Amino acid sequence: MHLRSRLIADTLLGLTLTLLLQAPASTVAQDHPESFDELTAGASSAREQGDIPRAIELYQQATQLNPKWPDGWWYLGSLQYGVNAYAPAIEALTHYIELTPDAGPARALRGLCEFEVGQYPQSLQDLQQGIALGAANQPRNAGIVLYHEALLLTRLGRFEEALGKYAVMVRHGTINEDVTNGIGLSGLRMPILPKDIDPSQAQLIAMVGRAAATFMSGDLTGAHQAFEEIFARFPTTPNVHYLYAYLLFPADPDQAIGQFQKELTISPASALVHAMLAWAFGMQGDYRIALSDAQKAFAEDPSLSMAQLVLGRDLMETGDIRGALPHLEAVVTTEPQNLEAHIALAKAYSELGRRDDAGRERLLCLALSGHGTAADANM
Amino acid sequence: MRICRVLLVSLLSCICMSAERGQETVTCARCHQKQASTQPGTQMGHAMQVPGDNDTLRAHPELTFRREQYTYTVKTQNGQTQYIVSDGTHSISIPVVWSMGAQAQTWLLDHNGRMYESLVSYYPSIEGLALTVGDDRLEPKTLEEAIGRPLLEEGVTTCFGCHASNAVIGHKLNLTSLKPGLTCEHCHVDAGAHLASIAQGDWTVFPPELKDLSSEDISNFCGQCHRTWELVVRAGWRGTSNVRFQPYRLAISKCFDGADPRISCIACHDPHQKVVRGASFYDSKCLACHSPAMSAAAPHAKVCSVAKVNCASCHMPKVPFPGGHFVFTDHDIRIVKPNEPYPY
Ligand code: HEC
Ligand code: HEC
Ligand code: HEC
Ligand code: HEC
Ligand code: HEC
Ligand code: HEC
Ligand code: HEC
Repeated sequence: MHLRSRLIADTLLGLTLTLLLQAPASTVAQDHPESFDELTAGASSAREQGDIPRAIELYQQATQLNPKWPDGWWYLGSLQYGVNAYAPAIEALTHYIELTPDAGPARALRGLCEFEVGQYPQSLQDLQQGIALGAANQPRNAGIVLYHEALLLTRLGRFEEALGKYAVMVRHGTINEDVTNGIGLSGLRMPILPKDIDPSQAQLIAMVGRAAATFMSGDLTGAHQAFEEIFARFPTTPNVHYLYAYLLFPADPDQAIGQFQKELTISPASALVHAMLAWAFGMQGDYRIALSDAQKAFAEDPSLSMAQLVLGRDLMETGDIRGALPHLEAVVTTEPQNLEAHIALAKAYSELGRRDDAGRERLLCLALSGHGTAADANM
Repeated sequence: MRICRVLLVSLLSCICMSAERGQETVTCARCHQKQASTQPGTQMGHAMQVPGDNDTLRAHPELTFRREQYTYTVKTQNGQTQYIVSDGTHSISIPVVWSMGAQAQTWLLDHNGRMYESLVSYYPSIEGLALTVGDDRLEPKTLEEAIGRPLLEEGVTTCFGCHASNAVIGHKLNLTSLKPGLTCEHCHVDAGAHLASIAQGDWTVFPPELKDLSSEDISNFCGQCHRTWELVVRAGWRGTSNVRFQPYRLAISKCFDGADPRISCIACHDPHQKVVRGASFYDSKCLACHSPAMSAAAPHAKVCSVAKVNCASCHMPKVPFPGGHFVFTDHDIRIVKPNEPYPY
């Protein structure tokens, strides 16, 4: 295990325990009554007494005897995980999942094992499927599962998604050094895992992570101070103003715009920053100003979806709907789930009187957008 | 066309203005009598009210409401209103300055420098006080908490932004320039420059012509306050509480075509007039598309086999708003099937 913090270790233990308690009632096939019954009884008493090596051995024998016994694979896999025997744990959990395909916690646990042995793409897939099947519904499990998902997203350069996961964790009170370092990595847009941090950058990463976590926890004044300290100490480091702007944007677009502009003095040719600045201006209704930043973003990196999205949106809002369409259509081709692109397309088709296309896009938007809270308050 | 009308009006008003120059300030009413005579009396014109000009409170000088240990009294005397919360032993009394809503009213209260949205509101349907929409989940533990929902700066700003005019300048709240309710300039953004230049004898500056906006654009224009389709989708607001967001509801109706002016908000509503109540008024609006005579101009729009009048009464059902004190008209125009769940 590469985990340093006790908290994470505790959470891990919590996960394993909860998983164990949640294990389904056994559906034992009775092919080899005596020996099998003896093995299972021995295994569970060894497990209860904390004799893990013995329990593992007996579960191994029992599953050899009856490979269709899901509980056996489950106990075997989770006990092996508990003693860092990740490769055999993966094998055991794979048997369990074959017998019980919609087992969310088992998928998540296999994802954690895969993470430890460096099978990152499989790990992310398993963690996400596990979450979809409810593995993160319990706050205790949510911490460890989301943490690893966020690490893997960061590794793939999906920083904003990772920050979203961290924000959920922070809101649930899961803040520790591992988490803040993870936030630091995604905030600084470094597509690496914590184990690969260059020691010369460790302090910067830690400071950025703590500042962002402070913001996520709702302490905006504290976060402001923390960010100012970073700006003073690392005045030319890219992405910090961007991160602060990104966090500020939902509640204070004006201040966010100021921070995006500061980022541009450090990273003047960043397509992403120009695109986000265009987005922020657009959300304020200043589409004309937005358009010039969107054009810069697109010129800097035509393959960036965000650049295509803002350019399409800003062209549409400033009246060039036909010019907007190819950009918006390009975004939904590469990212069929991009809600903002579908929203913009619905409006563009609607302006052009393409009723059927607009109607289809609107239905897609309804399907893609989540169910928020009731809109029954005066806002 | 514009040139001719401009010439005519300018000739006429030049005559009047030169006769009165220096004695009277020129107002919109001078030249736009039709809009100016009715718009201030609409609900939008009264979207916010100030002390002394609040007919609802004048007509109901003492309103009371009780919830758990807290008693609420809204007392009006000589045009001044106090909002009083009491727990039996102590009480807090706050002067009411900002009343939001023309008929139903919620008050913005300044208590020790902090803004609150009153926990109770006045509802015409019960002619009395009840919990403010959305506040049934609040469980006040102290007298201060019982005042209402504390508002963040952002919430105060947007509240004034939709219910008052000139209140938000450069995204910041400005209470000195504020005018209660929606005035001409709130919707006609460049009207101030238009008026000022006319006063200087310059007849070349006009506000943008809103009536030429596409239906999609008008929906978004009204949606600044009535909430756009886009905003509701993004927020994921589903269920009957979104019935009050007409631009969203209309957009999901099969009738909606963003490029067809016959389904624009302003095809059915004149924002300078009180909303017309009663379905029959709207029949001609529907028949502009749904009649055999129109089949060429609206080829997909069919003719009703059930009735020939009061279309809206069946196809735009009234939906009670959660909380029970209001009813809204569902702008998702459709065939309403018995027992069907509320769409989206
Ligand atoms: C002295 C006369 C005068 C005054 C005062 C005046 N306007 Fe106008 N306004 C005009 C004329 C003339 C036109 C052009 C009319 C046309 O094109 O039909 C016009 C056009 C407009 C239009 C565009 C209408 C359209 O769609 O063509 C709006 C909106 C408008 N005025 C609003 C206002 C408002 C609001 C005020 C007060 C702040 C105001 N005006 C004061 C004379 C005046
Ligand atoms: C600046 C904000 C704003 C804009 C823009 C706006 N409205 Fe309103 N509208 C309001 C508010 C606030 C109310 C509620 C008034 C009340 O009951 O206090 C309202 C109420 C109404 C009503 C109900 C009036 C009644 O008599 O019951 C209608 C109809 C209406 N608006 C139509 C429109 C249309 C059509 C447009 C676009 C042309 C529009 N509004 C644009 C803020 C706005
Ligand atoms: C985005 C614009 C917007 C904001 C912000 C807003 N309102 Fe409104 N409000 C409206 C519109 C539009 C209506 C009329 C349609 C309706 O009733 O939903 C309305 C209606 C009302 C009504 C009449 C009763 C009702 O609920 O229909 C009250 C009372 C009210 N608002 C109070 C408030 C208060 C208090 C705030 C701030 C804390 C606020 N509103 C913020 C747009 C807004
Ligand atoms: C809630 C928004 C709103 C408010 C408030 C408002 N208007 Fe308008 N006005 C519109 C819209 C939308 C149109 C275009 C549709 C139409 O012609 O009715 C319009 C059109 C006009 C026109 C052009 C009418 C024509 O037939 O060409 C004039 C003139 C005008 N408004 C004057 C005023 C004046 C004067 C006031 C204030 C007393 C005012 N408006 C308040 C929304 C508003
Ligand atoms: C095809 C006609 C039609 C169109 C288009 C239309 N409305 Fe309405 N609207 C109605 C009818 C009918 C009523 C209910 C009148 C009554 O009470 O009898 C209504 C009522 C309202 C009310 C009063 C509150 C309520 O729900 O009863 C508001 C506000 C309103 N409309 C806003 C809008 C806005 C904003 C748009 C554009 C997005 C719009 N309407 C487009 C027909 C229309
Ligand atoms: C701009 C033209 C237009 C206007 C105005 C309009 N409609 Fe429609 N409406 C259509 C079109 C086009 C369709 C057919 C959509 C389709 O079948 O794809 C439609 C469909 C309908 C349907 C069938 C919807 C369904 O659920 O299958 C009803 C009912 C209807 N309209 C009623 C009305 C009523 C009532 C009004 C007035 C309040 C109205 N329409 C105003 C164009 C219009
Ligand atoms: C008494 C209620 C009622 C009234 C009033 C009413 N309709 Fe209908 N309408 C219906 C019902 C119910 C249907 C569905 C009939 C069916 O499924 O065969 C319908 C169907 C329709 C359709 C779909 C037709 C099709 O072939 O798909 C349209 C369009 C329509 N109505 C428009 C209107 C218009 C426009 C008016 C006013 C002139 C109107 N309706 C008045 C109840 C009503």
